Amino acid sequence: MNRRELLISSSILAIASTSLFSNVAIAAASPSEATIVLSSDENGAPHLDPIRATLLSVTAGLIYDRLIAMSNDHTFHPHLAESWDESEDGLNWTFVLKKNVRFHDGELFNADTVVWWISKFEGSANQHVSSAIDRVVVVDEHNVRFEMKRPDPNLLYNLASYFMGIPSPKAYEAAAGNFGVIEAVGTGPYKLESFAVGQETVLVANEEYAWGSELSENKGVPEIKRLVLREIQDSSATFLEMDTGGADILMGVPTEFVPRLALNADVELRNMPATGVSYLQFNTSSAPFSDRLVRQAIAHAVDQEPILKAVFSGSGATAHQFLVSSLEESKVQPEFLIRKDTEKAKQLLDQAGWLLGSDGIRTKNGQPLKVRLWSASETAYKRMAEIVQAQLKPVGVIAEVALFDSASLRDALRKGDHQLVISHYDWDNADILDWCFSAKNIPHPNSSRWDNPRSEKLREDAMSGARNWRERVAKYKEYHENLLENFVFVPLHEFEKTVAVNRSRLAIPERIRETTVGSATLLDTRWQ
Amino acid sequence: MSSFILRRLLAVIPTFFVVSLTVFLLIHLVPGDPIDSLMRAGSSPALREQMAAKYGLDRSLFEQYIIWMGKVLTLDFGTSIIQGRPVAALIAQNLPSSLTLGGTAFLFSSLAGIAAGVLAAKYYGTRIDSSITSGILLGSTIPSFWLALLLILVFAVWLGWVPVSGARGWSSLVLPVIATGLGGVALVARVTKVSMIEIGRQDFVTLLRAKGVSESRIRLQHILRHALVPVISILGLRIGWILGGAITVEVVFARPGLGSLLIRALNQRDYPLVQGCLLMLSMAVILGTIIGDIAHAAMDPRQREASK
Repeated sequence: MNRRELLISSSILAIASTSLFSNVAIAAASPSEATIVLSSDENGAPHLDPIRATLLSVTAGLIYDRLIAMSNDHTFHPHLAESWDESEDGLNWTFVLKKNVRFHDGELFNADTVVWWISKFEGSANQHVSSAIDRVVVVDEHNVRFEMKRPDPNLLYNLASYFMGIPSPKAYEAAAGNFGVIEAVGTGPYKLESFAVGQETVLVANEEYAWGSELSENKGVPEIKRLVLREIQDSSATFLEMDTGGADILMGVPTEFVPRLALNADVELRNMPATGVSYLQFNTSSAPFSDRLVRQAIAHAVDQEPILKAVFSGSGATAHQFLVSSLEESKVQPEFLIRKDTEKAKQLLDQAGWLLGSDGIRTKNGQPLKVRLWSASETAYKRMAEIVQAQLKPVGVIAEVALFDSASLRDALRKGDHQLVISHYDWDNADILDWCFSAKNIPHPNSSRWDNPRSEKLREDAMSGARNWRERVAKYKEYHENLLENFVFVPLHEFEKTVAVNRSRLAIPERIRETTVGSATLLDTRWQ
Repeated sequence: MSSFILRRLLAVIPTFFVVSLTVFLLIHLVPGDPIDSLMRAGSSPALREQMAAKYGLDRSLFEQYIIWMGKVLTLDFGTSIIQGRPVAALIAQNLPSSLTLGGTAFLFSSLAGIAAGVLAAKYYGTRIDSSITSGILLGSTIPSFWLALLLILVFAVWLGWVPVSGARGWSSLVLPVIATGLGGVALVARVTKVSMIEIGRQDFVTLLRAKGVSESRIRLQHILRHALVPVISILGLRIGWILGGAITVEVVFARPGLGSLLIRALNQRDYPLVQGCLLMLSMAVILGTIIGDIAHAAMDPRQREASK
């Protein structure tokens, strides 16, 4: 090949490849398919079997229906169960099931399905969701009764969770332990077409669907016929996909990119109700934070407002108690709320014997008040740690910040050398208090190492002493107040997930009634 | 030649054990625990212990290594703790994507590198040479994950020619290939250039010129042929990087592959999967190097003699 030939052939190649790529870009925008990028905390779900799973994404909510649907105000609504009835003593629950509901494989959903399904939880990772159920009795084809070992006021919450999506018994048994890997069969508005762990899941509309929950207007077949649910690990790439129109819905906009996406006229941002709280954790088992006065002083030294503004650009809310504010258990008496009061913080430290030295650092018995402040290395946590560090300095406390990746941080907390830690949880049920502060859960997840007889008594009562939801709320509230008055933690920020939608392509309903964009919202979503 | 290959292969056995031990200790000595990723609010501490026992994590490190090694020798890489599927199946599922990206990037770095080297040698000392050399040097010193983000910004966001991320169609392969392969281009180009210049100064080239052979023919048919010997051995060293070189790039472009699999497994401390992936990647580098050596020896008998 001489130089001329080389030049001609390479030019042809370049032109051909350019036109090929532009064709591909146009072809990708087929109107029948919507691309959803999952929130990073839902990435990496290894399979779609709700019974065995410890991590599930919104995908599971689209494939499997549940007996009950929970709205964002934490009220429960009929879905596959048309209605239900709870006995006075909380020991019997009767559910009336919807008729003519079929699984994607054509199998009928009825009372026998429920009996089979509940039995499958025994020995699984999600055993606790059904541990209070003694047995399930078939009353007739569309009526089942749960006979309980003990009252479980949290039953409806569990029944509404992704983990209690109902799979087809026939497909489940046929897959023999591999269910959810290649095949996932439910009664939901979407059917599984393909699933690649950590990459993408493709779903197609269930054309037989006619049993949507009360939370959606449309009870029938969804208008969006095909959904591609992608998982992207890198937050910059996630942002760029949304910003360039490569994604139609972003389930959780990375905090640092919210202001940038707000500038894009094609993107509509919606804040979902809070599902998690960031807080400052103490190691209550060792000095100086084994002293309640010191904990209280730190709690009053911290100002939540700058964290809301500087780290989260005003998205979410300042937190003054431990639970998400949509939960009834969060409505504690106002005197228990933890708020900034720098003067009081200084007084309390004086009272605890930590006296201010000439260098601005407090000391006690010759020991300076220098503490280790740990955090995960992600931007938001790191910045919260820096703000708390700056806020502790004026009261005479020196905090030394150290950053960890999340698995190493968990391991370090187990060892117990920590003093202050920026922590976060995502959970919209008051039983998170039990998870984080039960003495049984020391060293992890109770890395606060909180072990107090009064708290333990209140906790046990809240966990298993309530006969119904109302009693449970009252008992949890009391336990919550006990933890607040002991200053076991300092609440920092109530986190709201921001969802981004490409409004030039999709119209999501004005009012979202679920806790996140899930099956009810996508049933009501339309093409523009 | 066959004794040369045999000697090379036998040397792999001790290397393999050292590598396996390093890989095993590396992940087990990093703080963290895979079971934490399996627990969610409400699970009991008893379940935790049960899980740890199920995966043998309650045994001593030495015992765990012996059990793992015993299985690996029978080609059983164990089961992923988090994903609950055989490690071999997960690797097999992700291998084709990595091979496609790595292979294409290898091809790109070989062809573009040799072409750039030939051009730089031809215009040695001129502006063309210095712009090729400095351009390539710049490209090779930028970390690939950052280069990937820059490429996305220019070609996907500003120009809109290719998709930002994903693995749908050939268009989504272009940027990852450039990001992965540019380091190789620089290396190959530098070696080609130096080697071309050196060979160009030899007597037989002067003789060819005296015979009146055309300049381009001398360069492409005679000089390049000899100059390729060191290039091939450099490329041999890079065969092993076909799989391991694209780890961060796969993550940035959200592509499936061993890199994405490994990074996710590392974050979750999924020991069997991390061990499987790392062992696989290091063996690829070792075997790649051997293939390179063999190719080199096949081309150059002195090499075979020297290793005796």
